[in-house]
Amino acid sequence: MASEAFPASRGVKRYAFGWQSFLASNEVGLLAVIAVFALVFAYANPGFTSPFNLYALSRVLAIDVVIGFSMMVVLVTGGLNLAVGSIAVSAVMVGGYLMQVAGLPIPLAVVLAIAFGTLLGWINGFLTVRMRVHSFIVTLATMSIFFGAMILATQADAFNELPRAFIGFGKERVFGFVSILLFVALAVWLGLMVVFHLTGLGRELLAAGASPAAARISGLRVDRATIICHSLSGGLATLAGLMLTMRNGAALPSMAGHIGSDWLLPAFLAPVLGGTLLTGGVVSVTGTLLGATLVTVLTNGLLQLQIGEFWVQLFLGLVLLLAVTLNSLRRAFTWRPHRAAS
Amino acid sequence: MSAAEKVLEIHRVSKAFPGVQALDHVDFELGTRQIHALMGENGAGKSTLIKILTGVHQQDTGTLKLRGGEVRFANPRAATVAGISAVHQERNLISRFSIGENIMLERLPAQRGFVDYRKVHAEARRWLDMLGLDLDPRMAVDRLSVAQIQLVEIAKALALEADILLMDEPTASITPYETDHLFALLRQLRDRGVALVFVSHKLEEVFELCDQITILRDGRIACPTRPLKGLNRGDIVRFMIGRDEQGARLGARRTDRDATPALALRGVASPLGHQDLTFDLYKGEILGLYGLVGSGRTELAKVLLGVHPPTAGEVQVEGETVRIKDAATALRRHRIGYVSEDRKAEGLILIHGVGRNIAMTIWSRLTGVLGLLRPGVEADTVMPHIDRLDIRTPSLGQTAMNLSGGNQQKVSVAKWLAAEVSILIIDEPTVGIDVRTKAYLHELIAELANEGRAILLISSDMPEMIALADRILIMQNFRLVGEVANDHDYGRMSEAIMAQIHRGEDEAVAAQ
Amino acid sequence: MASPPGSLVIKSILRQDWLGLLLVVVLAIAGLALSQPNFLSSFNIYVLLLGFSLSVLIALAQMVIIAIGQMNLSVGAIGGLAAISFAGLMEVVGLPVPLAALAGLAIGILCGCLNGWITHTTGLSAFIITLATLSIFKGLNLGITEAQPFYDIAPAVKAFGNARMGPIPVMLVAPVIAIIAVWVLMNRTVLGRQMLAVGGNPNAAELSGISIRRAVVAAHAISGLLAALAGMLAVARLQLGQPTIGDDWLIISFAAPVIGGAVLAGGHVSVIGTCLGVVIVTLINNALVLYGIDPFFVQLLLGALILAAVGINRYHEVQEQARRFA
Repeated sequence: MASEAFPASRGVKRYAFGWQSFLASNEVGLLAVIAVFALVFAYANPGFTSPFNLYALSRVLAIDVVIGFSMMVVLVTGGLNLAVGSIAVSAVMVGGYLMQVAGLPIPLAVVLAIAFGTLLGWINGFLTVRMRVHSFIVTLATMSIFFGAMILATQADAFNELPRAFIGFGKERVFGFVSILLFVALAVWLGLMVVFHLTGLGRELLAAGASPAAARISGLRVDRATIICHSLSGGLATLAGLMLTMRNGAALPSMAGHIGSDWLLPAFLAPVLGGTLLTGGVVSVTGTLLGATLVTVLTNGLLQLQIGEFWVQLFLGLVLLLAVTLNSLRRAFTWRPHRAAS
Repeated sequence: MSAAEKVLEIHRVSKAFPGVQALDHVDFELGTRQIHALMGENGAGKSTLIKILTGVHQQDTGTLKLRGGEVRFANPRAATVAGISAVHQERNLISRFSIGENIMLERLPAQRGFVDYRKVHAEARRWLDMLGLDLDPRMAVDRLSVAQIQLVEIAKALALEADILLMDEPTASITPYETDHLFALLRQLRDRGVALVFVSHKLEEVFELCDQITILRDGRIACPTRPLKGLNRGDIVRFMIGRDEQGARLGARRTDRDATPALALRGVASPLGHQDLTFDLYKGEILGLYGLVGSGRTELAKVLLGVHPPTAGEVQVEGETVRIKDAATALRRHRIGYVSEDRKAEGLILIHGVGRNIAMTIWSRLTGVLGLLRPGVEADTVMPHIDRLDIRTPSLGQTAMNLSGGNQQKVSVAKWLAAEVSILIIDEPTVGIDVRTKAYLHELIAELANEGRAILLISSDMPEMIALADRILIMQNFRLVGEVANDHDYGRMSEAIMAQIHRGEDEAVAAQ
Repeated sequence: MASPPGSLVIKSILRQDWLGLLLVVVLAIAGLALSQPNFLSSFNIYVLLLGFSLSVLIALAQMVIIAIGQMNLSVGAIGGLAAISFAGLMEVVGLPVPLAALAGLAIGILCGCLNGWITHTTGLSAFIITLATLSIFKGLNLGITEAQPFYDIAPAVKAFGNARMGPIPVMLVAPVIAIIAVWVLMNRTVLGRQMLAVGGNPNAAELSGISIRRAVVAAHAISGLLAALAGMLAVARLQLGQPTIGDDWLIISFAAPVIGGAVLAGGHVSVIGTCLGVVIVTLINNALVLYGIDPFFVQLLLGALILAAVGINRYHEVQEQARRFA
């Protein structure tokens, strides 16, 4: 739609906000779907709302949210990071070593582990920028390299005598039924909201992802943006890995499956359900949070209904397929993305 | 030459794209045994017409008649089947395939699903011979030069043995010798009964080759289909630009040419092939850079922005020799901005809002503590520019893709105003933009220069160039071949520019 | 063009991308043979060929998708689903071996068609579609088997998996046929050329009247077929219908074609290069075992090889551009 109908200048609104578009937004839709499922599950199975189940749910949710964020920040650039799981395991094993063997104080070990994960992410970003190939192939290679190196270094042995304080933190409850880990995830959510909505850097990252050519010509440093996003992804993946370690009670080389590939589905599900575009430049931080919530509620509810855990994966695959198809339908009705020649 | 029969008739065809009426009730007739010139400035609607005839786009209203029967091409395949083939401006070869396979791709000779390569290459050989091309059809296309690729495209179109052949600037990147050969062949085809449409910016080629002519201007018919005989160059130019006098007198500027130039090039060469570029650009001046498509003008802008840094010579900003390694350095350290010719790919971020598109160049300046943007600071900075350029948008959040072409172009200028650049390179500012906004943009560019900015204007729109520029540099084959001081008299200036270009062409031929 | 045909043949061989790879393979074999006497033993060659048989099918399954400029994350999941269907149909339904095998292949083709059809109709990146179908196929697999293997494999299948003629495993027949078929497809058939055209320049392919839908769906169907074949071969080799078949195929499926010189943007693949890529990977695996090095090292090397291959490709591109501007 052309906008000639609007008078110039005086009529230009500084912010675009309308109740209609707000109610039709992805986030509100997701919230409604989550509410419906939660009600159905609560009705079908009273155990769903038991404090213990809510605690378990919030703990899993916290981890899935952060995994989703770790992929989301790379999707911003129009790239992706297959190595999230692999980075997480590698950095967690470093953290495990620092805590259990080197005996470093917990906060220091956690910070060093996250720094290590950030470094691995930086390597991904650096290689992507330098080799001028899609991050798919770079992270495909590094997921194998990081995982292989981790297995070689640890000989596939777990660190299962982690300090009690570390494991204990993951078991803390707030109000009796909310895992403290959920507050960690919410803190990350808040941080990313600030970055993507209130800072110049966030705007630059989005611009670089939406159209690298236009951003570069306008004097933005696109390569730097790519590297920042990958580094951030590595750090967030590590945080998720540490949270999972607290839940498991040990640093396990197998926690993300073979070469970390078990994380791929949850990592993509949350941001894609939340409305983050795979083509880059559009992000929904809250959407990712809600996307992860939907996935966790569905998984938890289905398991509670005694549907075999193996069918849940099939179900999540269908959800992903449905979500991307709906997104593409919606886009087809509103606008067609401009394909920049690479 | 026997009498022509009408093979293709276009009646009152219209086509609109968001914000621009590309074709407005256009009529067009094509006969067999004719080479038909389709002329017009950039953005006049030639390419849109070609794309409707080849099924790439579909008309909104109006009819197409092929040999008397009404047709509508849903896709390119339908047009090919109906006997229309085309050489498009875009490259349409598969680079890893052999020349022969590319030429024969539409209908690979095959037996039970297996390609008969002997036949593919033998057939292809025929078409290459016809164009006088001594190339091995088994050679891969990615080993060819740009000119050879263009010729293979033409061979591919010929191989369809269509009775209607459309050629959109087929001579843009080939040498005069190859052009002669091509023209001889096109005449042969014409005499065999093929109807040809020839789109070119080169007037002398049109006079050399064509029988009929139709001229478009701003999406309308400026000169209905008629024989070329009886028209001279001046007539055609007048039809194309429609205004003998470029109405708006934009006021003369007084430029101080004794001051230190804002931008100076000294013998600059580039990896793209630029050689020995030397010129000065002063504050408060509009320096035009004219040349045909592919002469290296946009590429020069990219060299100055550090996308392809110079390999020799010096670039001076305010008298100091500088090395610009990327657009960020150009903007932040030297206050150089670039309004791209390709506003959809390079000028704008289509999926982002107007406000962000304009503020993109200054985010680093707007941030305070911890990199936070102060609330409302983006809107405060952007609003004055929206007002000044009269950008029509309901809100700052409106995505750029939902604006009309003219407003999009204003946005891509506004971001450089926001960045307060002192040197602005403006590349084809008015392509595909409606007449009213075009006039407005011209006034704006003049104003920007009057305010003391140094402006390098790249345009292939000659009236625009003559209306705006103070001096005009002429570029050809990545070299500067001349300079004219502009007195804003269209007739005299266009002749002078054309003469320079011809001289350059002759020199190029002599060099070979 | 005046040169005699013989020199032309030599020239065209010298121009092949895979010549360097062949050299690497020859040197590696020579080096291993000289340093490790066991390397050329009949049993070791048998082990090498077994590894090659499976890997090459996985690699080809990915290669045909790379040809059309897409990627297929679900190769392993399709292979696994076909494998357990094959085994399950024999054990539970009691289908005769040939019928069960046909059903397994049909499932592979069906899964592939589904991938191709959804990708083409939605116009979305094959990456996200095949990630979704990966989890659907894997979910089906686990839902059916509840992660328990089918043990009751027909004796004929077991015999096929174990049969050898000296150092040559009989099951090598399947990949050899597949290699030849895919080579012919990619280099000699109209369909294969159309697939490559779509991968190389979709706009040009469409303007040339090539049906993109047909090329995309066909490529995915062939990919599914090859993945299913690999899955069933794995059943014969393992002598049981293991639900985890296919879980670790992702890296090798991309590594071999990329090492073999495939352009990930589509439009160019090399069947011979891909085979040589598989040979290199198989040799590395073997060398690690022979030298008593931690076999997990292969994971690291595979990743490094992918990076190196992409880096070399990139280097050639840059050189090529420099040549063009010169």
